[in-house]
Amino acid sequence: MAPVVQTINLHKTYMLGKVPVNALRGVDLEIESGDFVAIVGPSGSGKSTLLNLIGALDRPTEGKVIIDGVDVSTLNDDELAELRRRIGFVFQFFNLIPRLTASENVELPLAIAGVKKRQRKEKTSELLKAVGLSERAGHNPTELSGGEQQRVAIARALANEPRFLLLDEPTGNIDSKTADMLILLLRKLNEERGVTIIMITHDLNIAKQAKRIVRILDGRIIEETSNIAT
Amino acid sequence: MDVVDIFSYAWGGIKLRKLRAALTTLGIVIGIAAIVALLSLGEGFRIVITSQFERGFALDVLTVTAGRGLLANIITGSGSEEYLALNDTYTMNEIAGVRQATATLSKSIGISQGNKTYMVTAVGINFTEYSTIYSTSFQLEDGSMSLNPANDSIILGYRLHDPWKNGTILFNVGDYINLTWTTGSITKPIVKRYTFHVVGVLKEIGGISIFGPSDIQAYIPITTAQKIFETDQVSQIQVQLVSSEQETIDSVTNSIKNIYGDKVTVISPSAMLNTFSSILSTVQLLLAGLAGISLLVAGIGIMNIMIVSVIERTREIGILKSLGMKNKTVMTIFLCEAALIGLVGAAIGIVFGLGLSNFVTNFVFPLISTGTSQPNGQGNRVISNIVPVLTPTVCVGAFFFGIATSVLFALYPAWRASKLKPVEALRYE
Ligand SMILES: Nc1ncnc2c1ncn2[C@@H]1O[C@H](COP(=O)(O)OP(=O)(O)OP(=O)(O)O)[C@@H](O)[C@H]1O
Ligand SMILES: [Mg+2]
Repeated sequence: MAPVVQTINLHKTYMLGKVPVNALRGVDLEIESGDFVAIVGPSGSGKSTLLNLIGALDRPTEGKVIIDGVDVSTLNDDELAELRRRIGFVFQFFNLIPRLTASENVELPLAIAGVKKRQRKEKTSELLKAVGLSERAGHNPTELSGGEQQRVAIARALANEPRFLLLDEPTGNIDSKTADMLILLLRKLNEERGVTIIMITHDLNIAKQAKRIVRILDGRIIEETSNIAT
Repeated sequence: MDVVDIFSYAWGGIKLRKLRAALTTLGIVIGIAAIVALLSLGEGFRIVITSQFERGFALDVLTVTAGRGLLANIITGSGSEEYLALNDTYTMNEIAGVRQATATLSKSIGISQGNKTYMVTAVGINFTEYSTIYSTSFQLEDGSMSLNPANDSIILGYRLHDPWKNGTILFNVGDYINLTWTTGSITKPIVKRYTFHVVGVLKEIGGISIFGPSDIQAYIPITTAQKIFETDQVSQIQVQLVSSEQETIDSVTNSIKNIYGDKVTVISPSAMLNTFSSILSTVQLLLAGLAGISLLVAGIGIMNIMIVSVIERTREIGILKSLGMKNKTVMTIFLCEAALIGLVGAAIGIVFGLGLSNFVTNFVFPLISTGTSQPNGQGNRVISNIVPVLTPTVCVGAFFFGIATSVLFALYPAWRASKLKPVEALRYE
């Protein structure tokens, strides 16, 4: 079976003024459908850079990102936007829209994708139920705890039935107990719904919950391990 | 994303910053209100002026003056070499299409009563001919008009008789009044004087008169006028036509031109009205243009606020893009915010503009016109008669102009928003 995401010799160089920063220096990675991958590595090793490229938020300096067999570099801005509708993002700082309620935040990607109002409502309440937040649907993000906000963000990321979820340190801003529950939720989604998950984390205990761990250092993959016993 | 969703999302963005949105809207309100007020006052003014002129006008009377017209005389700095005389009326009476021609001679004179002197125009006329040509307006309220008037006969316009319309009579039939005027050079003026006997007072005509009888003129026999003003010229010849149709007007005008060439100018009332109307329209446009400047300022305000708003919402834009929103949708959202501000601003502005113009006509204009009640104050009647008129064209135009201005000035900020790179926008603190 063809991988959902494949990167080939991926390079990314940022220019800090006139100084080039090589954030990625040749990353080859394949992720199969239904996989649960944890990306670990020290700060500044290029994890977020890799995730942004996989999520078509940015373009590589060199190399290719292939999503569902399509070379992302051949797509224009509009096609990239459409592609992103099939990718679910979850960020460290939640990135919910503060003036919208939890359910409106979850509904937003559906509205962007042009789903009809009635279907949107159904889907939204179903998703909020799945992350255990039905009761909080009408609350604004500021009225929710960090863990709750992150669950809203996950519900939002799942709205358009994405090919895979990308999570950049989703537990970075919540306490460890809440974090454990969040990982449980992710595992459930992965096992019961077959959602492909790619997650960056600093926490090795959390990484161990994944099926596969990819270790990055200085813009390169230095180790890949599979967790057989989970 | 469909239109309804885009608009409701944009509306949410406006609601977030209520005070800011209100102040931005205020700019549009002021701009549109100024335009609407000026245009509706201008339109009201135009209607009053036109109707006032039409009252004083006889549409079937042409006015012939010597030279290339008043304007040309002013430009060349000299009075015309050419002049018209009494016997030119005979020539004009011969022209087909002419019913009756009569000559007039006008001069600015002073009429004194007590220690006050009123500056009015004395018009030398042939009583019989003039009263037949202007039979609808040259009618006596009091006194009588002899077909063979005495040399010192004078007939007064209504406002020289009862200027304030409250029974305070200035001059009455039977009074003797002194007319004064100056001759000689400006440095050595010689004051002349002649005593007239009031034989009649005209009914009130109303309106403003350029040619034809008016409430603020005094009428004396033209023979007397030529004698005391020491001239054998006449100022104008009024030519009454057999009909007021354009064909007749054109054919008589051409005949006069054929006879006199460039020595005379023929003015038809309808042409005057058209010219006047178009001058007023131009002035109105100019005023609207001035008001438009305030809208320009409002537009720049919108642009400024939108740029700030785009910067503040950089992260939000990044989120929207990460959720798959296309660049043009981002742009549309910001344009919609501007359009909503423009829409609300324009609607309120139109109401305010109408209110403002009504306020001006009801409270400001009366102050102006009571301050200067003079028998010769023609302008007062015009001002106090103005009713603001908002034409549908102006209303709809102002509405869309308000929206268009906000959208236009939002183009650049909206474009900037749409061009933000998702990763960089998401990193923005
Ligand atoms: N937009 C940018 N401009 C310049 N340099 C950047 C930019 N983004 C990242 N970098 C640099 O690229 C390198 C990799 O950054 P990246 O954010 O991918 O690291 P990370 O592994 O996610 O780190 P962390 O664990 O701290 O989030 C770092 O040295 C960083 O300073
Ligand atoms: Mg990072």
